[in-house]
Amino acid sequence: MQNVGVKQYFKLDPRTKLLLMFFINVTIFNVSNRYVIVVMTAIPIFLLLVSRKIKASLCWILIYTILMAVNIHFVPTTNGFQSVLLAAINMFFRMMPGFIMGYYLISTTTVSEFLAAMEKIRVPQSIRIPMAVMFRFFPTISEESKAISSAMQMRGITFASRRTLKNPMVMIEYRMIPLLMSIVKIGEELSAASLTRGLGNSVKRTNICKIGFHLQDMVLLLLASITFIGFFIY
Amino acid sequence: MDTQLNVQDLISVGIFTAFYYLVFFIAAMFGFIPILFVLMPLYLPIIAGIPFMLFLTKVKKFWMVTIMSIIVGTLFFATGHTWISLVVAVVCGLFADTIFKAGQYKSFGHSVIGYCVFSLWLLGGMLPLWIMRDSYFTYIRDMMGDEYTNAIISMTPTWMLLIMIIMCVIGSIIGAYLGKSVLKKHFKRAGIL
Repeated sequence: MQNVGVKQYFKLDPRTKLLLMFFINVTIFNVSNRYVIVVMTAIPIFLLLVSRKIKASLCWILIYTILMAVNIHFVPTTNGFQSVLLAAINMFFRMMPGFIMGYYLISTTTVSEFLAAMEKIRVPQSIRIPMAVMFRFFPTISEESKAISSAMQMRGITFASRRTLKNPMVMIEYRMIPLLMSIVKIGEELSAASLTRGLGNSVKRTNICKIGFHLQDMVLLLLASITFIGFFIY
Repeated sequence: MDTQLNVQDLISVGIFTAFYYLVFFIAAMFGFIPILFVLMPLYLPIIAGIPFMLFLTKVKKFWMVTIMSIIVGTLFFATGHTWISLVVAVVCGLFADTIFKAGQYKSFGHSVIGYCVFSLWLLGGMLPLWIMRDSYFTYIRDMMGDEYTNAIISMTPTWMLLIMIIMCVIGSIIGAYLGKSVLKKHFKRAGIL
């Protein structure tokens, strides 16, 4: 999820995205018709296209086509050990619509939009705060990790160095522990800072993000529920 | 002791959840190598043991593990896993919390058992292969024909799930001991505990 407000031409409410996610998720694991699955994949790819993520959607189409080809042409003719490997591919292929939808959900929703939506569906504060902290912390952790990584490179501790190959635990001891220490310290500072800004207050907080259901949400949800119910009756 | 979670606790929960999820994510990346994919329930709890043991020393209140598992499960669901893994995660988290609570968040024995229970949520992602066996195999049969389906059925018997659970428990026990020794060696000395 990104923090900076990117201008979007086609915007869905985060709640709609979550609901679509649920529809797709339930459908791909209950319906065994191949065409239904393809339709389910088409929905998130269409959404990616209209939100101008053309490169990403082309990538997903390519991956999906390759997986489908492998599935149709190679999987039925293998046996023994090979089919164990291909079973993983099959599982992955089956979950693909969900992955694409997840990519769409995460790449087109900002953190504050997501939090505003969580507040609207009355998720309690004890879950909202950790979630907000978590999204804020992903970039911090990767920054710290890069700094520690370059420091450790000087001492010859990288993934492929002799020292790590001799004893892989070195990797955990020299990379993970400094990282954990700095993260804990940063966390303490963060909680002090947010307390002074009144996070512990019991008053209802306001949010600058405007979210709401619009025409596109209505249309998509209507279509999704009709197909969803249709699949189950059929 | 104050039993209500305050804002500091919630922030700690967020931080450790972020860390746990990243560790999980990196470890799952290695899972694309097929052999490691099967071994994932074994090695993941070992690596994640250190942050989790540190987490246990930080908050010490009921709901903390449950909130962590709710968030991890939601993220799992939002990135395209089944809703089953969300349910499994919440149930595991709740049980783990109860066990930790029984040990007053101090007893190491309770921590080990609780960590084992918590780690079982990992299996939620693979559970559809066994729980939704019928619909999953009807689907494969439609697509791949009988021979392949029978091969898969014979390769994933129910005891495979049992093996996964045992691997997960062994991994968690190793992870908990590793976490304990690391806490003693590094974090106590650095004054973080």
